[in-house]
Amino acid sequence: MHQLTMNVPAAAHGADPAPDPSELERIAMAALEVGRLLMETGARAEIVHEDCSMVARSFGADRVDLRSGHASVDITVGRGGSTITRTMEVGPHGVDHRLGLGLRDLVRRIQQGNLTPSEALAKATGLKRDTPHFPPWLVALASGIACAAFGRLLGLDWPGFLPVAAAGAVGQAVRQVLLRRLVNVFVIAASVAFLSSSLAELGASRAGSATVNVAMVASVLMLVPGVPALNAQSDIMEGHPTLGTARGVCVIMLLTFIATGVLLAQVLLGVQP
Amino acid sequence: MTIDALYLLHQALFGAVAASGFGVLFNFGWRDLRWCAASGALALTTRTIAQDANWSLEAATFAAAAAVGCGGRLLRARLGIASNSLAVAGCIPMVPGFFAAQAIFGLFELTAPHLNDPGKIAMTTMEFSLRVIFTIGAIGAGLSIATHIFRSEVHD
Repeated sequence: MHQLTMNVPAAAHGADPAPDPSELERIAMAALEVGRLLMETGARAEIVHEDCSMVARSFGADRVDLRSGHASVDITVGRGGSTITRTMEVGPHGVDHRLGLGLRDLVRRIQQGNLTPSEALAKATGLKRDTPHFPPWLVALASGIACAAFGRLLGLDWPGFLPVAAAGAVGQAVRQVLLRRLVNVFVIAASVAFLSSSLAELGASRAGSATVNVAMVASVLMLVPGVPALNAQSDIMEGHPTLGTARGVCVIMLLTFIATGVLLAQVLLGVQP
Repeated sequence: MTIDALYLLHQALFGAVAASGFGVLFNFGWRDLRWCAASGALALTTRTIAQDANWSLEAATFAAAAAVGCGGRLLRARLGIASNSLAVAGCIPMVPGFFAAQAIFGLFELTAPHLNDPGKIAMTTMEFSLRVIFTIGAIGAGLSIATHIFRSEVHD
């Protein structure tokens, strides 16, 4: 799914009338790499377009056209009479705040004229590799606690709190393993939802909880694609309806698979929905 | 309007815990996690006060998202371009995942072979679906209003 979205006016600085084609190639690839990584870290389309254009213009392009889809980003860069168009595939969309901030900082450094296109490309690739992440056990634990806290906001009673936290943590740990094995995200959503809600039901009912249904749903709330749902709306509001719609459809699909996992657990464990 | 202080504290506390837990999942840095917690607490406090004043869930959620979005903008000098992401993290505990699940369960139930009261199930499903749409819309609109009114040269 693609959309034509941006025409950047000619840069003020001096344009080279006959640039080396490999120079345009390097500019396009550096801009695309930044755009691809921003998409994968959960940035809105407007930010992706703005930063890609900024990178290309900072390297001397006087014409930049972009279109962003859910699975790829395309760019046309031009200087003088020469233009080239390149496409780059976008990987799975996630949320990675620190990588996003690192990329935005890199764009600022490019804008200041401190880097060449090749250096910028290498730095962007390096950022993906070197950005620090929390240890997986901590992410699992925090996700479990977040699910239980979310459950309290939904009316989960105290006996159900620890079982939901444990079930959410186990679910997130399994999710991380499956993501590393490149299993389909929708299959992961259904499988983890089934596992977490089953564990939550077994734990909460043994702990004497009177809100087993809430516990089952609360234990899978780390799977709910909240950021993509908000991005979908922002993209549509900011003039990128195609990408916004694609994101919205993915959100609905994910919710359906999550609900299927929970429903299967309810049927197998004999819980009334 | 009478606010149960203990209930308000409960909502703020668990809003903060949920937002900072999701902050870890979204790879916010250690320094930013406290701001995620503050953002979640502000969102849930505002929403609870608004609901206590008999506002609907959707209107209260809109007010909460706008409050968090404006708070992020006010602290922009201190937080930099992370301010918008922190506002989003604070709103995550208000995303109606529970209603979404109930709406989809309702749709599944409507396709069962022998239904007792299909009209009632359809109405409940419709109600949950509309609440999901309006609540997500309220969060998005609340955050966007702050972003677009206090727009800066560089988006965040």
